[in-house]
Amino acid sequence: MSTNPHILVIDDESQILRALKTILTEKKFRVTTASTGEEGLTLAAAVQPDAIILDLGLPDMDGLTVCERLREWTQTPIIVLSARDQEHDKVLALDRGADDYLTKPFGIQELLARVRVAMRHLTQTHGSKEMVIVAGKVKIDLTRHRATREEVEVKLTATEFKLLAHLASNSGRVLTHRSILTHVWGEPEADNIEYLRVSMRQLRKKLEDDPAQPQFLLTEPGVGCRFMSEEN
Amino acid sequence: MTQAQQLHFALRNFKRLDHAASSKSREDVELSHEFYPPVLSGRSLDGGDHPVYRHIALLYLRLCAQHQRHCSPLSLAYWTHRLAFRIRRGRCRLHPRLLRPQLFFIAPRFTFNVSHWQDWIVLFVLLLESSAISYWVNHAQTSLDEARARERETTHLYELSISLAGLRSEEDIAFAIAEHLKDIFEADAVEVLTFTAPHRTIKTYRIPKGDAATAAQPSHSVQLITPRGQLGEIRLWQWGSPFQPKDDQLFNAFASISALAVERVTLAQAEARGKILEESDRLKSALLSSVSHELRTPLATIKAASTGLRSGEVEWGASASQELIAAIDEETDQLNRLVGNLLDMSRIESGALKPNKQWDTLSDIVSSVLSHNRRTLENHQLDVDVSDDLPLVAVDHSQIDQVVTNLLSTSVKYAPRGTTIRIHARPNVDFTMMNVQLSNEGPHVPDEHLTHSFDKFYRVTAADRVTGTGLGLSICKGIVEAHGGRIWAQNLPKGFAFNFTLPLMWEGARPKIANSEQHMADSG
Repeated sequence: MSTNPHILVIDDESQILRALKTILTEKKFRVTTASTGEEGLTLAAAVQPDAIILDLGLPDMDGLTVCERLREWTQTPIIVLSARDQEHDKVLALDRGADDYLTKPFGIQELLARVRVAMRHLTQTHGSKEMVIVAGKVKIDLTRHRATREEVEVKLTATEFKLLAHLASNSGRVLTHRSILTHVWGEPEADNIEYLRVSMRQLRKKLEDDPAQPQFLLTEPGVGCRFMSEEN
Repeated sequence: MTQAQQLHFALRNFKRLDHAASSKSREDVELSHEFYPPVLSGRSLDGGDHPVYRHIALLYLRLCAQHQRHCSPLSLAYWTHRLAFRIRRGRCRLHPRLLRPQLFFIAPRFTFNVSHWQDWIVLFVLLLESSAISYWVNHAQTSLDEARARERETTHLYELSISLAGLRSEEDIAFAIAEHLKDIFEADAVEVLTFTAPHRTIKTYRIPKGDAATAAQPSHSVQLITPRGQLGEIRLWQWGSPFQPKDDQLFNAFASISALAVERVTLAQAEARGKILEESDRLKSALLSSVSHELRTPLATIKAASTGLRSGEVEWGASASQELIAAIDEETDQLNRLVGNLLDMSRIESGALKPNKQWDTLSDIVSSVLSHNRRTLENHQLDVDVSDDLPLVAVDHSQIDQVVTNLLSTSVKYAPRGTTIRIHARPNVDFTMMNVQLSNEGPHVPDEHLTHSFDKFYRVTAADRVTGTGLGLSICKGIVEAHGGRIWAQNLPKGFAFNFTLPLMWEGARPKIANSEQHMADSG
């Protein structure tokens, strides 16, 4: 990028804004802050940031509404910040277009990692997508529809591969149960989380060194799944 | 001669003596004088010889002999009562019965003639006597009836008291009152209303159930009032026989007893509420003192470390500043855990802990907990036996995460450094529940304390000043039980274990695994 990435932070807590601004500026980001939803929406339109960090507990508007309104006109990555008890809101935000989430209190490393992942995917949708994804001993070839482990092909069912491909092409990002089920099994099965669990189990068995301690086929309980490739 | 013998002689010679008296034959009179005590001889007070007295005396005598008991005016009255007469107002009718004394006692006997003027007096006196006696008897009878009625009333009230004494609930009391009233007054319907604290809601108890009889206005109603105010009302529907004043009295007496019983229940309820409040207050103050201590500890560290780093006085070396910063980071995590515990506890207390269940893989939850608690577990060995082949559990993942976290942190506190903490899970025999065990090589807990381990703020010994709010285990209990599972502690041969169960069924069904495998096979 020619200029440093521009991040818009929308949060009503002035302490958090101050801390994030300091840290992100240190890490060579340009930072704009907003403390209400309306202000955030106005600034988003005005400055056209490269990423938005959005707190769900805003005073004037529902964070979900801000998310929806943003998605009406921009594909800018949105990372939502939620408090411990806003589990449900987190998932809803993700289903309505947010790219990732963080639960307060969070570590800065995690935040930065997620922001980077989100921005990378954005450039990928504009540019060329990764066709081969590597995660440890596993290689996933999206063009040839095959996965190998230590160079040996692993036999996967069509559904299993579809799931794997979907996760891998969104590597680093969380995908909600609902979005995975809809994408892989179709809309009518969007609530049958059992299918997803079983398939994840199968994939782990076939691809992970220790299925009980997965390295790249991660489950985020209550939210969804995340594929952690080499880059993450 | 004894008195009995005299009486007997008199009876046998009744006729002769009487004749002697009426004929005034000197000899017979003298004979009579000899054998009778002076009174019986008819001697009047002035010493004159008066046949009237003699007749009365003879009559009396006869009665004594016949009834063979101590003669009282009442027995005499009883006998003459049978010769009752009725005096109409203003008129005196000569009823044949009236003349019975005349018939039997006044000479000439067995006729209705009154020969001597004295005999008229005798007749009159006899009449007076019988009327007086019948009046007294009537009066006595009435008094007896009244006494019996009062006794019945008292019995009813007593029975009501007794039956109410043993009852504890307002509903039982109200129905007991209603039933008694219905029986005693033969009512069509009875309704008891109570105004119960604390919201002064009106509860209605009706016999018979249903609105049919009580649609109209009640025929009688009375309020239940005590010094504390009006506690209720009793309404009666009875259109058969109207209430007499004594019925009203009884009704009111019933109301007083009922009011007292209802008051008793109300006070018992208030006492129970007071006890709960007391206990709740006690727990709250224990919680506050525990929490304030637990919050202050990490805060103190954070404050010290951050102010230390801020101060320009000291040049911090890289490792020293790293240590301080690490301390701030760790203590922040500790505070976060604490806040989580408090939130869970308050949700459990307010009953708002509704698990948001989903089919989940237990091994995922356990892995997640372990990855978040790496630092807590760094001084111990871990042995995890939670296969991802295990059946799915129907759980709220963040709550079960909390359970495993709390159990782990408790185990870490008591297990000696370097020892192994083991987690393993197995489904039970009929695949209805998943059994999970967290065991450590820590010390045994005395058997009598095992069940209390999950109470709030429970410490085995006072010297157990380990860190923590004391809520961790009770939160585990609240969560596991909200899921329909069980949690318990046990001593192992070489250590100690926490056990809990999680449901493998949800709303009576298992996860649609069969379907999903079919689905996968089809698309494979």
